[in-house]
Amino acid sequence: MKVKVAMVLRYVILVLGAIIMLMPFLWMVSTSLKTQPETVKIPPIWIPKQLQWANYVEAFKAAPFARYFLNSVLVTTITTAGQLFTSILAAFAFSRLNFYGKNIIFVIFLGTMMVPGEMLIIPNFVTLSKFHMIDTYWALIVPWLASFFTVFTLKQNFQSVPDQLYYAAKIDGASDWHFLWHVLVPISKSTITAVTVLQVIGSWNAFMWPLIVTNTENLRTLPVGLQAFTTDAGTNYALLMAASTFVILPMVILYIFLQKYIIAGISKTGLKG
Amino acid sequence: MEVTFKDVSLSYDGTREILHHLNFTIPEGTLVSILGPSGCGKSTTLMLISGLLAPTKGQIFFGDQDVTKQDALARKVGMVFQNYALYPHLTVLENIMFPLKMAKVKKEERREKALKLAKLVHVDDQLDKKPGALSGGQQQRVAIARALAKEPSLLLLDEPLSNLDARLRIEMRQEIRRIQQETGVTTIFVTHDQDEALHISDHIMVLNLGDIQQFSSAETLYDNPSNLFVAKFIGEPVINTLPITAFGHDLDGAVPAAILAKTQTVGIRPEALQDHPIDTGTLAQITTQVKAFEKYGREKNALVDYNGNELLSTEIQGRLENHQDLTLYLQKSGFYLFDEAGQRIFGGEQDVE
Ligand SMILES: Nc1ncnc2c1ncn2[C@@H]1O[C@H](COP(=O)(O)OP(=O)(O)OP(=O)(O)O)[C@@H](O)[C@H]1O
Ligand SMILES: [Mg+2]
Repeated sequence: MKVKVAMVLRYVILVLGAIIMLMPFLWMVSTSLKTQPETVKIPPIWIPKQLQWANYVEAFKAAPFARYFLNSVLVTTITTAGQLFTSILAAFAFSRLNFYGKNIIFVIFLGTMMVPGEMLIIPNFVTLSKFHMIDTYWALIVPWLASFFTVFTLKQNFQSVPDQLYYAAKIDGASDWHFLWHVLVPISKSTITAVTVLQVIGSWNAFMWPLIVTNTENLRTLPVGLQAFTTDAGTNYALLMAASTFVILPMVILYIFLQKYIIAGISKTGLKG
Repeated sequence: MEVTFKDVSLSYDGTREILHHLNFTIPEGTLVSILGPSGCGKSTTLMLISGLLAPTKGQIFFGDQDVTKQDALARKVGMVFQNYALYPHLTVLENIMFPLKMAKVKKEERREKALKLAKLVHVDDQLDKKPGALSGGQQQRVAIARALAKEPSLLLLDEPLSNLDARLRIEMRQEIRRIQQETGVTTIFVTHDQDEALHISDHIMVLNLGDIQQFSSAETLYDNPSNLFVAKFIGEPVINTLPITAFGHDLDGAVPAAILAKTQTVGIRPEALQDHPIDTGTLAQITTQVKAFEKYGREKNALVDYNGNELLSTEIQGRLENHQDLTLYLQKSGFYLFDEAGQRIFGGEQDVE
């Protein structure tokens, strides 16, 4: 009996947690299908009288979303691939190679994880402006080509692979390079998938940085493009939510398909995203 | 390939020395076992030979060539690791083909060779499985096949049989011996199991605490142990050891007084204690009390008390009662005296290595 009560209680808590997590998404979708007056009605309504599918069409036409979409895809792909590449190399060096000053460098890098991202905006902006990269694709990409969080996560994972496997590869005639890409990386598939997805989501959703370093309409990414619905006259919530829905849709789909890897990868390293 | 160590020492951390001034030569085409208790430095020695570790001091030669500075890639040895170290993301066949792929062997040839090796080690029915789906013994055999794939001139095996059941272990050690003799590949086999070492090898190197205790044939190790450690480590059941003081005057006349004066420990193999005298071999006799008498089939063993020390004899002919007095005859073969440092100073053949 006692066991059953505990079980019911556990599920009640889990369901409540899930509802709380899902609430903003449901609200977003609900709002995106309302008429303008319905969005500000008090008390709030959850299900609109008539579903306003037209909001989506109107929202898509309100700004050059096709172009934004292209920019987002481009920036996300390049930053993720670049960051993964540099992080894999760095993680290999920190976990397998011996070089002078390795531990000190690692501690310094670890220290950078303590610095909040917002603090880096100004120095990064100054640096990039010196290189004349502001308001170009470079500004959107270059600062994100390295991430110590990813390096750290991968290093932890690489270290859990037994030394003997590395030795065996050496004996079998594999170079470090070959061992890294043909043994270590395939073995660490789940962790790599997890950090990739986290990076893709982070990059896709980035708002502050793209907003600051771009002025040109043609360089805007999707999240920045959502500003189009906020004007001096106020915010059109229905259209904003409709646009938000199609902006995050690719991430939701990605997450659903890869959640198995993400959870496995994150629980393996004992790190949270 | 002949392997020579010249004054090789190793320390992992620069403070604690794990191996001390090793000097030895492993002749081409032989199978040599490195035998010793856990933690004595067996795996470390193999790593030095393979080039995965560089010695802190000393030189390593393959034939006449000084390979001290060469890494594992350049030395081209085959190796089976203590925990197999198979690639978990590759199938059995791909694991065996891996070294061939690295050596840029053509695809069809790779496959053909790998299949042949898989057959040799009896894993040809597991080719498409991943290592995780294999038993310990199967993984070990795949590892052996992988090590043989590139036809190395030197094959290193780190306790390759430790995870097999008793029957398979005997089968595999004969298999390794057969493969070694067929291919003529110089093989170095690490084990902590003396039985395995005695059965498989041409020569045995006994290692303890990073020092070579003795390096000779199995027979010599048993008949002429150079020190107390080897005498105790080799032989089943274990040699009887007792302090020289237990003997009182029992050895007077049988052993030169000068040697007796230097002796600290006496070692007597259980088969060198007989309840019947033999004209030629008997060295001395002692009076003991029977503590336990056991008979298994043809074998009769007695556990006896001699001046407060327990001795085991496996050469009993008569029937014994517990607590009775028993005279035992010490045979010269299997009777050793060791000095304070544990070195053999009497018994066996003198001046052997
Ligand atoms: N990477 C390492 N760093 C520091 N010390 C080590 C390392 N590897 C082994 N040692 C130490 O070196 C000594 C010898 O180890 P080694 O692995 O060679 O022993 P072994 O004879 O193979 O033992 P076993 O039969 O248990 O495998 C041990 O005291 C061990 O603690
Ligand atoms: Mg070992």
